[in-house]
Amino acid sequence: MEQDLTKEITVTVNGETVRQRVEPRLSLADWLRDRLGLTATHLGCEMGACGACLVMLNGRPAHACLTLAVQVDGEMVETLEGLRDRGVIADLQAAFHERNALQCGFCTSGMLATAHALLVDNPHPDRSEIRDALSGNYCRCTGYEAIVDAIASTAAARTIDQGTSG
Amino acid sequence: MELEGTQILHATPQAVWQALFDRAILEQAIPGCESLEQKSETEFAAVVRLKVGPVSARFQGEVTLTELEPFSACTLSGKGSGGIAGFAKGTARITLVAEGDVTVLSYRAEAAVGGKLAALGNRLIKATAQKLAGEFFAAFGALLPEEAGGDTGPEDAGEKRRETGGCGAVSRAGGPQIAGNGRTS
Amino acid sequence: MTMAPDTTAFIGQPHRRQNALRHLAGRGRFTTDLVLPRMVHAAFVRSPVARGQILAVDVEQASQAPGVICVLTAADLNPLCMPWVGTLDHFARMASPPQNILAETHVVWAGQPVVMVIASSRAQAEDACELVVVEIEDQEPVVDGAAALALGADTASPGLASNLCYETVLETADVDAAFAKAACVVDGEFSFGRHTAVTLEPRAVVADFDPSTGQLTVHQGTQTPYQFQDVYARHFGLNEGQVRVIAADVGGSFGMKLHVYHEEMATVAASKLLGRPVRFVADRLESFLSDIHARDHKVRARMAVDANGIITAMEVDDLTQIGAFSAYPRTSAAEGNQVIRLMGGPYRMQDYRGRLSVVFQNKVQTSQYRAVGHPIACAVTEVLVDGVAEALGQDPLDLRVRNVVPDDAYPHTSATGYQFEKLSHQACLARLRQMMGYETLRAEQALLRKTGIYRGIGIAPFIEITNPGAAFYGVGGARISAQDGAIVKLTPSGDVQCMISVTEQGQGTETIIAQIVGEQLGVSPERVKVITGDTDTTPVGGATWACRGAGIGGETALRAGRKLRDQILAIAAAVLQSEVVDLRLADASVIDAHTGAVRLSLAEIGRIATYRPDTLPSGTDNSLTAAQHYAPSGFPFAFTNGVQASHVEVDVETGLVKLLKHWVVEDCGRIINPLLVDEQIRGGVVQGLGAALFEECLYDEEGQLTNGSLAEYLVPMACEMPDIVIGHVETPTLDTILGAKGVGEAGTAAAGAAAMNAVNDALLPFKARLMQTPMTPARILAALGHV
Repeated sequence: MEQDLTKEITVTVNGETVRQRVEPRLSLADWLRDRLGLTATHLGCEMGACGACLVMLNGRPAHACLTLAVQVDGEMVETLEGLRDRGVIADLQAAFHERNALQCGFCTSGMLATAHALLVDNPHPDRSEIRDALSGNYCRCTGYEAIVDAIASTAAARTIDQGTSG
Repeated sequence: MELEGTQILHATPQAVWQALFDRAILEQAIPGCESLEQKSETEFAAVVRLKVGPVSARFQGEVTLTELEPFSACTLSGKGSGGIAGFAKGTARITLVAEGDVTVLSYRAEAAVGGKLAALGNRLIKATAQKLAGEFFAAFGALLPEEAGGDTGPEDAGEKRRETGGCGAVSRAGGPQIAGNGRTS
Repeated sequence: MTMAPDTTAFIGQPHRRQNALRHLAGRGRFTTDLVLPRMVHAAFVRSPVARGQILAVDVEQASQAPGVICVLTAADLNPLCMPWVGTLDHFARMASPPQNILAETHVVWAGQPVVMVIASSRAQAEDACELVVVEIEDQEPVVDGAAALALGADTASPGLASNLCYETVLETADVDAAFAKAACVVDGEFSFGRHTAVTLEPRAVVADFDPSTGQLTVHQGTQTPYQFQDVYARHFGLNEGQVRVIAADVGGSFGMKLHVYHEEMATVAASKLLGRPVRFVADRLESFLSDIHARDHKVRARMAVDANGIITAMEVDDLTQIGAFSAYPRTSAAEGNQVIRLMGGPYRMQDYRGRLSVVFQNKVQTSQYRAVGHPIACAVTEVLVDGVAEALGQDPLDLRVRNVVPDDAYPHTSATGYQFEKLSHQACLARLRQMMGYETLRAEQALLRKTGIYRGIGIAPFIEITNPGAAFYGVGGARISAQDGAIVKLTPSGDVQCMISVTEQGQGTETIIAQIVGEQLGVSPERVKVITGDTDTTPVGGATWACRGAGIGGETALRAGRKLRDQILAIAAAVLQSEVVDLRLADASVIDAHTGAVRLSLAEIGRIATYRPDTLPSGTDNSLTAAQHYAPSGFPFAFTNGVQASHVEVDVETGLVKLLKHWVVEDCGRIINPLLVDEQIRGGVVQGLGAALFEECLYDEEGQLTNGSLAEYLVPMACEMPDIVIGHVETPTLDTILGAKGVGEAGTAAAGAAAMNAVNDALLPFKARLMQTPMTPARILAALGHV
């Protein structure tokens, strides 16, 4: 048998510490999906174009298909499962549901990751800013408008909430 | 895909011509060349490792020299298979013109690729091919005996001359072909 | 969700999709997510050349590679499978070569699978593929359809007499006379590029053959589980009852996932051979090389008008280039056949000649993709109508208003032989004019032109074929169900389940079925669980294609629901010693039909019928399950209609097109769920705009696909797409109780035509006209004479 090239990594995934040996060529996406069973992360193009595999890496969206598992040693990774369980995107999820901003659901995790990051960076995006922000996320079903609407309505609702509480 | 270019070589057309048939020089000059085997005076078998964009592969190919016009022109044609990465094939017409004490080498090539290389690397291929051609001729120029000067021992040079003699014989046989190929000049 | 005031009226309400909640929570169940015990992974060695003869295949080294379980060639797999041939009997003299799993002696497109490697992981299988040596003597490929038809041309596949797959002519007796006396004739030469579905989830299949029982279970991302059950049973010599096909969540389909592919057949064969689960998931390059492509038409067409500006005739010649095989089991001729029949569909035009030539070439096959034939027919027709308007100096919208079949002139039969029950072109055009503020936009356009800003308005009325009966495939001998089936049951605690043959790919099938069944039973749709996509648990049916989910599936569900309603009411009448006519279902209860008073809850009916049937009067049927099948009768298709408009701005320096806005007025009959209908239309429009402006599978002269990645094949992005305004006219079909027609393809049908007319309208001052898709900046600049 050939020599063991695997490397041990320790990663915080959705708040839990995971320690595993991985091959150097294993992508973060394959690691999350095949080894950890976190199948909300999808693979659409394997070259960073479609955005279906976006996860949060230290709080920023990253393409899990272009990132190697060994590169996230010591880092924090959060997938849709983690965002869901933390409740931080509950309003986005509800807005997507209300507006039917998804059809087949394959792009949805990536869309939510982008939307989540956008609203952190820019709490009051206009429609064209939302459309620009979504340019790295391909959706083949919806035609995008419902997704733009859902993000816009979430932004508006967050603004009102902050207005009344502050 | 068409490629063309020129390279100024500090050697006589005769020396350049000899080097074009020199297995050892070609092996060192071809980028990524792992091995080059001379199968006859005008036929070579090569193994070359190349990377084009997202596709890297080990190509096994054959290169043939035809339409020989001694010391002034020849046609190189080759085809290489890179397994699942696809294939590359092409022909290049090379002309040599003496200008003072240098030789101007011009090439005009027609190349095609297939398989993964075509589907994924297409936009990078021309740039890559130009780059590889540039690397080849730069290395080729550096390896010419005149350029190498005192580093090249007389035995080496003698070996080359022997090979050249063989080529000269072939080139005569190729005479009629050259006549019928005016469009490349 | 808040209840509607009338608690029994669920049809027509914007119910949200229950199944969307799973996706939003990251709990989708895609075939790509499936892991089975002992599952192994497949990868393929594909032909690098478009046409050639296989000289040698050496798998020795690959077989020894780490993780490899076996390396399979045609000699291993093809004998397990009966070859398939993509022809239909009602397409006279149609020809296509037999296909089998792996290429044996010849390869006929670049990307055709030659060797299958099975390994413990996909990565190991791919590594081993690199060690397979396939020696192919390449031959000059057949790439151009017109040249392929020349006498003595090489054939794309060995064994073909010629490259002609199918040809037909459709004509009326007076078409030549109509052109002879025309006041004006407008013509055009069109080219519609190849594009492909690019479902975000690639094709995925896990085949699981159990040799101990002979049971084959195939988990597959497909629209049509029953079709594949039939295909796998027949071609692998299994009993149909031993084949189960399960389509869980499907990450986009659009017609692409209902064709038979070499890789899926190979995966089933390998599982049969190995007796363990085999998984194949296409990577994106494999998708580009092996998924069906769409369109690839070259069309010459002309249109005749009389002195009053009335369209009198069209003549059309369509050359469809379909690749190396006609797809199985639906063929690759159906699109061209529809192209020549849909021409001029919205108009009163009396005379017509349509010629179709379907031609083989050494590329991956083309076949049915969303809005089969519609975008081609619509663009050709509508670009010519705009040409007529320009020639006559008339407003394009006004000209169309005068030429469409009037709303009171139905039933109507088109010059191409299509029968229309009742359409609403005039109402749709009127609605569009008002919605888009047509006159204001025209005035703005004229003003801006003076300042060097070139905007265009494009209009495209359309018809869409929905609710097909057996006319499409069944009459041609294909085992493709034209009917659907549903089983509806009341659970012992009063919930409802519906198992139905139509399938869900995100369009909301399960939601509308829940609404329809819920309405029949007086049960809120949230309490109706709809189960789809499993041949073992749902009744047999055609599933999802050609816009039949709502119209045919919906009608099936409605009738099944009514059957169960009658059974429930019979039990209730027996329990209550009442007459059925005095009872009704509402609010999950049996109520008094006259007073509305609750008599008995459905839960109580369920409890009695299930646990205490002994208390029912003797002879009472305690069945709380009803099964119903339904096939359309009456008109062969339920045509829908509508009109789209596109507003664009063309930068004449760069050739870039900015889509400013898009409008759709659609008449899909009775609307079951307005939210889902609108989103089907929007998604469809964007696919149509993608084909019109961006998407093209580019080939070189060697038959090599040169843009097989999402970095180079341009899928529409959010920032490029306009907001899409939608209006409705509702003309229910009277062929069904439900009255619904399809809507899934309407958006795609006419969006490209509207965009093409808009771009050409913007370029009008330059006398430039494009008749080629996609309308890339380079092509626009070429039309402008800038390059």
